[in-house]
Amino acid sequence: MDTHHSHLFEVGGAKLARLEDLRLIKGEGRYAADWALPNQAHAAFLRSDRAHAKILSVNTDAARKAKGVLAVLTGEDAVKAGYVKPLSMLTFAGKDGRKASIPERPVLAHGRVRFVGDLVALVIAETALQAQDATELIEVDYEDLPAVVSPRATLEPGAPQLHDNVPGNLCFEQEAGDAAAVEAAFAKAAHVTKLRLDVTRVAPNPMEPRACAVAFDAASGKFTVHSPVQGINMMRMQLAAYTGVADDKIEVIARDVGGGFGQRSIGYPEYVALMLGAKTLGRPVKWVSSRSEGFLSDSHGRANYIDGELALDKDGSFLGMRIDWIADLGAYLHPAGPVSPMRNPVTCLNGVYKTQALYGRWRVALTNTVPVSAYRGAARPEIAFAIERLVDEAAAQMKIDPAEIRRRNFIPADAFPYKTPTGSVYDIADFHGVLDKAMKLADVAGFPKRRAESEKRGMIRGLGFSTVIENSGAGMFPKDEIRLEVHADGSITAYSVSHSQGQGHETTFAQIIGDGLGIPAERIRLRQGIGEQGLIGNHTGGSRTIVGAGTVCSIAAKKLIETATPLAAEQLGVEPSQVAYGHGEFKSTASNRKITLGELAAKKPLVVTGEGKFGSTFPNGCHVAEIEIDPQTGVTEVVAYVTVDDCGTVINHTIVEGQMHGAVAQGWGQIFGENIVYDPETGQMLSGSFMDYTMPKAGWIKDITIAEHTTFGTISPLGVKGMGESGCTASLAALTNAMMNALRPLGVPPLDMPLTAHKVWQAITAAKKGK
Amino acid sequence: MYSFQYRKAKSLAEAGEVLARDGDAKPLSGGMTLIPTLKQRLAQPTQLVDIAGLPELAGIDNKNGELTIGAATRHAVVAASKVVQDAIPALACLAAGIGDPQVRNRGTLGGSVANNDPAADYPAAVLALNAKVITTKREIAAADFFQGMFTTALEPGELIVKIAFPLPKSAAYCKFPHPASGYAMAGVFIAQTADGLRVAVTGAGASGVFRWTEAEQALAKGISAAAIEKLTLAADDINEDIHGTREYRAQLVKVMATRAAAALSGKK
Repeated sequence: MDTHHSHLFEVGGAKLARLEDLRLIKGEGRYAADWALPNQAHAAFLRSDRAHAKILSVNTDAARKAKGVLAVLTGEDAVKAGYVKPLSMLTFAGKDGRKASIPERPVLAHGRVRFVGDLVALVIAETALQAQDATELIEVDYEDLPAVVSPRATLEPGAPQLHDNVPGNLCFEQEAGDAAAVEAAFAKAAHVTKLRLDVTRVAPNPMEPRACAVAFDAASGKFTVHSPVQGINMMRMQLAAYTGVADDKIEVIARDVGGGFGQRSIGYPEYVALMLGAKTLGRPVKWVSSRSEGFLSDSHGRANYIDGELALDKDGSFLGMRIDWIADLGAYLHPAGPVSPMRNPVTCLNGVYKTQALYGRWRVALTNTVPVSAYRGAARPEIAFAIERLVDEAAAQMKIDPAEIRRRNFIPADAFPYKTPTGSVYDIADFHGVLDKAMKLADVAGFPKRRAESEKRGMIRGLGFSTVIENSGAGMFPKDEIRLEVHADGSITAYSVSHSQGQGHETTFAQIIGDGLGIPAERIRLRQGIGEQGLIGNHTGGSRTIVGAGTVCSIAAKKLIETATPLAAEQLGVEPSQVAYGHGEFKSTASNRKITLGELAAKKPLVVTGEGKFGSTFPNGCHVAEIEIDPQTGVTEVVAYVTVDDCGTVINHTIVEGQMHGAVAQGWGQIFGENIVYDPETGQMLSGSFMDYTMPKAGWIKDITIAEHTTFGTISPLGVKGMGESGCTASLAALTNAMMNALRPLGVPPLDMPLTAHKVWQAITAAKKGK
Repeated sequence: MYSFQYRKAKSLAEAGEVLARDGDAKPLSGGMTLIPTLKQRLAQPTQLVDIAGLPELAGIDNKNGELTIGAATRHAVVAASKVVQDAIPALACLAAGIGDPQVRNRGTLGGSVANNDPAADYPAAVLALNAKVITTKREIAAADFFQGMFTTALEPGELIVKIAFPLPKSAAYCKFPHPASGYAMAGVFIAQTADGLRVAVTGAGASGVFRWTEAEQALAKGISAAAIEKLTLAADDINEDIHGTREYRAQLVKVMATRAAAALSGKK
């Protein structure tokens, strides 16, 4: 099975440096704000400065008269245009067969604002500064309404109501699993562990701020939208649904994208409002968000509030698990926002364990906060966090070694393919192997000695781990296409819908195609976000790209050889069966004549489109975190971190390491620092800048060891499983378990994230007082 | 950001005149606080008078028992200065820990002291070392200069030219940075000066930088970490926000003071 590895290594070099990096670090990237359209005007948005209020009137007279102002649009215009209903992907039935209640969202608020940052008006002017200045001249008469920002409080009777068609602020409710079986499992349990497992609201904060430039061609009725994307088709589908404009009348164009994390996959109301603006004005309109605006309007992530219970027999075997899950989606639903927490946790509800009785209830709640959508892992980290925290606490309560309790409950390696109680089929994995390798790399055996050494220095050391699995996404489009175009110089342009936001598609795809064709990866140039190619395909998200588009790269390479072989035969004057292909050349087996791919392309265009559809597969892994706490200040240092992942075939180790570094850092951010805080009374955001919001910084995680324990996935012929999100999925629980391993002996009860120095110090202080 | 006029001052005198004449003009040094404030539209100055490049505000000099640093000297320059490192290593160390590399390469000593942010680092050094703030009009003793959060003795149009730090026998600075902003949640500067031992605390005081007299008295009898460990800092006048309660900040002050004292006594 190692042929996957060696073959790619031989051709592309498994540690090939990223082909895009030189261009990007030289500042030659082209981002959304870099578009300058002929005769473009500039936009600024007036946003609500209150969490919940009736709009009594909006007076735009002064703004319209301000210098340079070309147009001012408000909720009236949005309603008149009919731009009020975003796409909803929450189309399946929930509890008792009931469908979701989907609130409307005029692209500019009409009648009511529902969060601080809600869009009130769009001002278009000759310059961005003029537009920004004019927003201050708009007079809005509000009548304040009580606001609710707590996801639990919003579902209580008497809570302020956000939307008339969403009674009780409850959009949707679903159940999964077998309630009766779980009831029975708990009834016979020797031990039950209960935990509150809230996964806090965070701001994705990609490095590139949001930006959008829209042109409208009145003659053809066509919109051209330039914005950061994770895939142009997903964006176009949402913009078309919001506006009612036909798919083929919207072209989305994107080049480089500076970070995504799910936040780029949304057809935001700002973009739709700009479409309306460009059409109204008859000129292209461009908007660039500030970071402050981003905090108040880019989709937030996580915000899942979970209560969990695990039932065990006296030997620590898991009998059943029950969860009660509230997904806080904010003030409105982003198209796919509620789908992630409704779907992904059900898919992997048993985690890596053979637990048979599972039940969960999920509720989609609305609050007066920024709308939430998928964020790197999209509820996979949340369910993994819930399971792995329950398992670890149960082990501690029952005084069973945390590795041992996992081993007792793992699905054994010979049980795959394994059908889970909620109907998923895990294709292949070796959880024992993954755990054993991680324990060894982390030198878990030597931990007691290290802990004693820390104690001598007055420090508190902890070690924790998580063993997790996640589903890579199957995608919503019917297939993934990759187009290859051969040039006369023998180089190849590849076209893809799946779009890099930093993952390194240009390198990985080139390696796979180069491997298929036996040519160096450097000869292949990937182009993404080219709307006119008209390709079908999924966006980058859900760790699906390597499985879908990546696999299709190899299919396209094969197809290119198949297509070109008869053409080469014709040129060589032999039968196709007398042509052998290798390393970019077709050779006649009947003579010593040959012709290269480039020479063929010089005679006649040589273009092929590969396609394929690949479903979910299941990357899995074990992370081990070792931390040290300074009890005097509560500061935690992550002193060692080991990841062992089974993401199937590894195409490029350097890229896998980079993805893991980033995802572990995001896990660090969520566990130790990042947190969107709202004032519970006013609904004002208290953490809306990098002065208050703690992003992880370089150097805070000093030592990450990254290794693989591979079983080759069976869904893709490449054996790949995906790995963009697995680092987030595993790290939340590993870090928290390490913290609780350190703090539990002091008498500290389970703590809610983020585990800031302040909170840790308070917990230690309280525990000391309690003793 | 609102529109404003940008003026690069040719001399200190010109800058002073413009600022005295136009009450809505603001001096621009490193701009590390001013520019973000403008971007948030929280200030609307008529003009910014750029004084960062003025030769009168430059220079680092150690003579007659004083280390003098020009107001427009950037943090990174202070941190890397051999003169500063030899004269008052704790001051070089403080400068090296301000903000992040971007801030250290733009922000200036004068700008930081004139702004008197309650969480800035330099005010602790200025107060503990009993420095003199030399302005375009006069010399102001550190004790008179800082007058509460974002408030100083500077009059309209008055600019800091340089700061003269009397050389201490020894000094140490320990800081607990906020993980997001890098500002001090507690910063403690201890200096053995000709006027006795002084302990200045930044980041925690509800009215900005202050001297912790109990710690000074305790350490005057002999510098040791143990001397601080016995003390309790009253939390009443300590700042509280979403990042830390009064009790936590009081604890951080104590821990930073203990560590600074340990560094001074040569023991951990």
